[in-house]
Amino acid sequence: MKKLIILILAVIVASCSDNIEDMNVNTKDPAKVPGESLFTGAQKNLVDLVVDLNVNINNTKLWSQYLQETTYTDESNYDQTTRPIPDNHWSILYKDVLKDLDESGKIIAATTYTTIELNALKPNKAAIIEILNVYAYSLLVETFGDVPYTEALDIDNLLPKYDDGLTVYKDLITRLTTAINLLDTSEGSFGDADKIYGGDVTLWKKFAASLKLRMGILLSDVDNATAKQAVESAVTSGVFTSNSDNAGFTYLSADPNTNPIYDNLVLSGRFDFVAAETIVDMMNLLGDYRRPFYFLPTSDGTYKGGTIGSSSSYSTFSHVAPIFETPTFPGILFDYAEVEFLLAEAAARNFVVGGTAKEHYDLGIKASFDFWGAPNYSAYIAQLNVDYDILIATSTAITPWKEVIGNQKWLALYNRGLEAWTSIRLLDYPLMATPTDAVSGFPNRYTYPIVEQTLNGTNWTTASNAIGGDVPETKLFWDKF
Amino acid sequence: MKTKFSGILTLLLAFVVQITFAQEKTISGTVSDQSGLPLPGATVLVKGTSSGTSTDFDGKYSISASQGSTLVVSFVGYTSKEVVVGTSSTINIALQESAEALEEVVVTALGISRDKKSLGYATQEIEGSELTTVKNGNFLNSISGKASGVQIKRNNNIGGSTNIVIRGNASMTGSNQALFVIDGVPINNINTNSAGQAQATGGFYDYGNAASDIDPENIESMNILKGAAASALYGARAANGVIMITTKKGKKAKGFGVTINSGATIGSIDKSTFAKYQDQYGAGYGPYYGPNEDDYWYIEDVTGDGNDDQVVVYTEDASYGAAFDPNLLVYQWDSFDPDSPNYRTATPWVNAKNGPITFFETPLTLTNSITLDKATDDGSFRLNYSKFDQTGLLPNSSIRKDNFSINGNYKFNDKLTASGYANYIKTNGKGRNSTGYNDNIVGMFKQWFQTNVDIKQQKEAYFSTGRNITWNPATSEAGSAPIFWDNPYWTRYENYETDARNRFVGNATLNYEFNDWLNVTGRVATDTYTEIQEERRANGSVPGDFGITRGSADSGYGRKNFDVSETNYDLMFNFDKDLSEKLNLKGIAGVNIRRNVFKSIYVSTAGGLSVPKLYSLQNSKDPIPLPEETDQISGVDGIYASASFGYDNMLFLDATIRRDRSSTLPKGNSVFIYPSVASSFVFTKLVNQDWLTFGKFRINYAEVGNDAPFDFLYDTYVVNIPPGAPSTSVSNTKKNANLKPERTKSFEIGLDMKFIKNRIGFDFAYYKNTSVDQIFGVPISRGTGYTSKVLNAGEIENYGVELSLFGSPIKTTDFNWNVNVNWTKNENTVLSLAEGIENLQLGSFQGGVTINARVGQAYGVIQGTDFTYSDNGEKIVDATSGEYIKTSTSDNVIGDTNPDWLMGISNTFSYKNLSISFLIDIQQGGSIFSLDQYYGQATGLYAETAFINDLGNPVRNSLADGGGFINPGVNPNGTANTTRIRADRFGAFGYRRGLPNAAFVYDASYVKLRELAITYNLPEKFLSKISLVGASISLTGSNLWIISKNLPHADPESGLSSGNLQGYSTGSLPTTRDLGLNVKLQF
Repeated sequence: MKKLIILILAVIVASCSDNIEDMNVNTKDPAKVPGESLFTGAQKNLVDLVVDLNVNINNTKLWSQYLQETTYTDESNYDQTTRPIPDNHWSILYKDVLKDLDESGKIIAATTYTTIELNALKPNKAAIIEILNVYAYSLLVETFGDVPYTEALDIDNLLPKYDDGLTVYKDLITRLTTAINLLDTSEGSFGDADKIYGGDVTLWKKFAASLKLRMGILLSDVDNATAKQAVESAVTSGVFTSNSDNAGFTYLSADPNTNPIYDNLVLSGRFDFVAAETIVDMMNLLGDYRRPFYFLPTSDGTYKGGTIGSSSSYSTFSHVAPIFETPTFPGILFDYAEVEFLLAEAAARNFVVGGTAKEHYDLGIKASFDFWGAPNYSAYIAQLNVDYDILIATSTAITPWKEVIGNQKWLALYNRGLEAWTSIRLLDYPLMATPTDAVSGFPNRYTYPIVEQTLNGTNWTTASNAIGGDVPETKLFWDKF
Repeated sequence: MKTKFSGILTLLLAFVVQITFAQEKTISGTVSDQSGLPLPGATVLVKGTSSGTSTDFDGKYSISASQGSTLVVSFVGYTSKEVVVGTSSTINIALQESAEALEEVVVTALGISRDKKSLGYATQEIEGSELTTVKNGNFLNSISGKASGVQIKRNNNIGGSTNIVIRGNASMTGSNQALFVIDGVPINNINTNSAGQAQATGGFYDYGNAASDIDPENIESMNILKGAAASALYGARAANGVIMITTKKGKKAKGFGVTINSGATIGSIDKSTFAKYQDQYGAGYGPYYGPNEDDYWYIEDVTGDGNDDQVVVYTEDASYGAAFDPNLLVYQWDSFDPDSPNYRTATPWVNAKNGPITFFETPLTLTNSITLDKATDDGSFRLNYSKFDQTGLLPNSSIRKDNFSINGNYKFNDKLTASGYANYIKTNGKGRNSTGYNDNIVGMFKQWFQTNVDIKQQKEAYFSTGRNITWNPATSEAGSAPIFWDNPYWTRYENYETDARNRFVGNATLNYEFNDWLNVTGRVATDTYTEIQEERRANGSVPGDFGITRGSADSGYGRKNFDVSETNYDLMFNFDKDLSEKLNLKGIAGVNIRRNVFKSIYVSTAGGLSVPKLYSLQNSKDPIPLPEETDQISGVDGIYASASFGYDNMLFLDATIRRDRSSTLPKGNSVFIYPSVASSFVFTKLVNQDWLTFGKFRINYAEVGNDAPFDFLYDTYVVNIPPGAPSTSVSNTKKNANLKPERTKSFEIGLDMKFIKNRIGFDFAYYKNTSVDQIFGVPISRGTGYTSKVLNAGEIENYGVELSLFGSPIKTTDFNWNVNVNWTKNENTVLSLAEGIENLQLGSFQGGVTINARVGQAYGVIQGTDFTYSDNGEKIVDATSGEYIKTSTSDNVIGDTNPDWLMGISNTFSYKNLSISFLIDIQQGGSIFSLDQYYGQATGLYAETAFINDLGNPVRNSLADGGGFINPGVNPNGTANTTRIRADRFGAFGYRRGLPNAAFVYDASYVKLRELAITYNLPEKFLSKISLVGASISLTGSNLWIISKNLPHADPESGLSSGNLQGYSTGSLPTTRDLGLNVKLQF
């Protein structure tokens, strides 16, 4: 009997591990990954956010009044709290874009690659990561105003303070300039891990310069000197010169790597969106040749947009054109048409960018027509209601070019909600309709995330006071007029 | 199966007959107490044999025994007596009340039996019969109201889980569920529901919690260890209290030892827990349709004759449309389908004859079991087979369980005893109800529906065609896809889930007695199961979030496989010695080694199914997304010791200590030690008063340590489904390699008193628990690049009062009345989270409400938008629209999910062989947010949305026509609001027009007639004629009557599932009144 007990004791003692803590290993998720894979993940997260039509993620195509909700019209009516859109925008940019880029950069810097050739790619990779960092931060500043920057992405500081938006924005331009100068166009970079340019450094350099152009233009009302310097140096460096320079993310045909719009419109099986009255009315007025590329006509062959903020029966109004329902439709982060309109603005502001405002205005329209494959460009720009000089002469706006460029730029930015919203806020054109049941004035910004209010209250309060109140109507520092 | 079963019966009957042939002398007589009062239920055994009987209600017995043999007569609370059988065939026996009349023995931690009076902590026993008389699909639900300090929250999901929390929530994000222990061995009680299920995201199921696998027929008794002092020997996992289950063992009794139990329960819907619809308006959201957007109808040519027709707005899932008019003929969904008798035919515009309630079926539960048990002086044996067969409220839903158990022990010699337990449980579920917001038929009925839709017609449309002909098509073309909702019959018969769990629970135990005061027990125990959950979606369904990617797909197939086990190795020395005449010392020293394994793999199709309705992974339209795998191994090595001193059966002192080493904590911090001390003082030993039978004061203090969940120390990356190149992300949570153990400190005092010979008594407890250094993912600013960081932080305090009262107002020979009352009050406060962090969001839900742990508030407050109030406390109304002005912030505390108090009152009346008992269960206070009301009032489903307003007109008339209503309150300038709000379009009563979340938070109080049972035990005289040892028949009812509640159109109890997220109601199944008939036969 005692032998039995000893046996039991022996079994128990034997199964008592000395290193019991070694069991606590997650064998299914990697503890180490290549930095390039994090770059790919961050890139997709960024483009998804910019492109998305999901009412939880991105409402700017509604706010820019390109589209209108059918039955559940909260977001068309500027509601940004029922669904936590600002929370998601903020969270995706910091957590799923900036953090992953940050980690990617650190890992690549610390990696010794197997060949000299591969090691030589590291500076270009670092510069491209930096360019996307700047892009992501610029989106944050353009949508919220003051945001965490100097204390952001530090896990030892759980409650980062917010930095002044203008200071951040200027620093971003400086960082962008440094990154542009670091790019070595004789070397490659990410190769296949880059789903936008396939690692083409020349194109990244153009992208960075175009971004600098946009950021410069944004500051022109508030700090004209910085704006002029940034815009002119960007042009010198070399911005987009054709649609083949466009930054488009390559989507695949299978979920979850399709264009998010395909998921919103097709896979969901829902019919939540129709064309908005604001854009359809303007295009009808202009007889715009891009109409069939943007929208489907209604059953009687006409184009009809829903009243902003009202219930709109799906069958009564125009819908988006079938091209947007293609899973592999590229996710556009930046395009040539926008660059030409930015150059038009620059010229109108008397910056030295080569060419006149009209020339760039016409080129912007052409780039847009070319991109969509729309016909009759020449006839179109000759129209009395399109011709730059005629419109400038007849405009009743305080700054006529803002109206003229603003309207056509907005038409060209269709499907690019965030850029359109920013352009509307900067140029104050085109005029937006007041939604039927608007819960706020026109949103000049996203309100800060609710979780920031509850988690990071002290810093949130300081920032809210600094920008003039955490409400949608607060105009951000660059939106002076 | 049926034939086989009757074969066994015949065989058993043959044996019974044979036994009765053994010729012996029949002894009869009466057993009474010292005053001559008969004692019903006293046991009479022939010593050294297995034959025995018990006295009937007159204290009479009759037994066969040969002359010279000894009868042993015993009764609880009395000293046993032995009588030698002489020549006389009548033996009357008077028993003396035992000096140790209150020698209640209870099973405590590690399965140790102890005198209840010696315990310095609160425990409460529930007899097995209390769990089985009124049968329930899940025996855990039967605990409700039967013990103080325990909060049971059931839901109505078929096979769904039950939330069991003892003395309040103490863990921030970890489990707060009680630990289940069978015969000293912990078993698994996790639910494998996805995180999405807990947050009411649609398209998920409640697969139930694992403890519900236990067959209540096998439970002898259940003892609830409420405080940390009671459970400290179980270490970490016992911080939430323990439910100790003692299984039935083979018994010495007369007869063959065969028990057959058979029960049937049928349910009918309690209509107060389902929608009560308005019957005046049909489909639509308002006058928005037609060419001028001012009509209630679509104007389309559905007949193909070139003329426009008036068509019901089939795409709209609301009932805010045109007023019904039987003389008006319109084209409805059934006019689009060529197979329908109404194809291209207009039908009258009327309220549906067969509303949603006709969709539900009559649930039926059959429970059958057979038990064979026997005991001799050397051992005992028990064999049980139970079959549980349940069909649910929803069509095509069922749960089946086969439960086999064998339990035995054998005494090899004076010193060595071996015992073992083996239980195999096979559970099959089919068609569990989808819980949550989307993809939930009950949610559709309660939130998004057209009152004109006739369910019977939907049924015919599906069954006659096998196609998804829905009331809610995207277009009026024949064969159109649905827009938001499938035909509900299609959903039930095509998109059902199935699941199967095969589980083994068992142990092998050896006990060796060195001498009369020292023994050792060695035990190996395991609880292991595999489970498969399969989810389907048939081609042609409404696209919903499906599978691993949660991408929208009209069809798909997904399967999850689980492999879960827990193994415990125990070695325990046990001693019990009287040190002197008055001083007794008991002690335990032992080792426990525990290993847990949790493995799972989830694979699903993506983008739909290529071959319709072929549910196979290779049938995926898109490449199969990367599967989700987990492989978690964890363990704890523990050593423990306890010592209990007893002085003169009056003063007791217990002390325990345990040292654990956990695999989930970092080296250097992985060892933790925690103590408990408890004392009880039986003061009635000193006070001699006739009226005071027993009195005990108890006090204890304990600390319990707890480790971290698996994999909380080291960072790993998330692997994404490659978008053409390998893609990864940084995890949302920053891990922490410097964790230390959590700690719960608990203090308790109690008073246990009994009066007038146990006719009345109470047990009172006050406790206070503080949990500190909690391990959880502290939410942080996303500006850090993470959503949370694992820290040791936070403090939660629970304190409360428990009171159990019992009394026997009437106690006579024939008639008895017993009352039991359990009352519980727990106050819970989140004292701190982490430096600078004021709020921890536990879950966020559709409708924009969140459930939170917020500093200074109770754990589990509901936050959302609120009304705004004037300085005088009146609600502020917008003067232009007449709508309330709600807060722009959604972090306002608008409810507390914790109840103020709970009470259960049970009464038992017995007259001779008949007994009637009932239980009233009460919850006072607590809040619940109703998404059903948030949406359903907006979409005009409920009766409250169509009434005659203060002007005497239908409220849904336009303002010009005298409709609308006035929201009580003041305008921002302080004057009383007089602006009439439009009610001719959707939203006026629901979520859309100014009403904040707070308007849909309800008081979750209820008073329920929980159980009713009428049991008749057949008299012995009659039984002996049909060779039965015992027979009873019971008529039972559960949830027969919700006497009072405040949540409209639903049961305030029906949450989503078990877990920390309670207080949110969406699309829960209605509650059923269950009537049962049970028959129990003993041979």
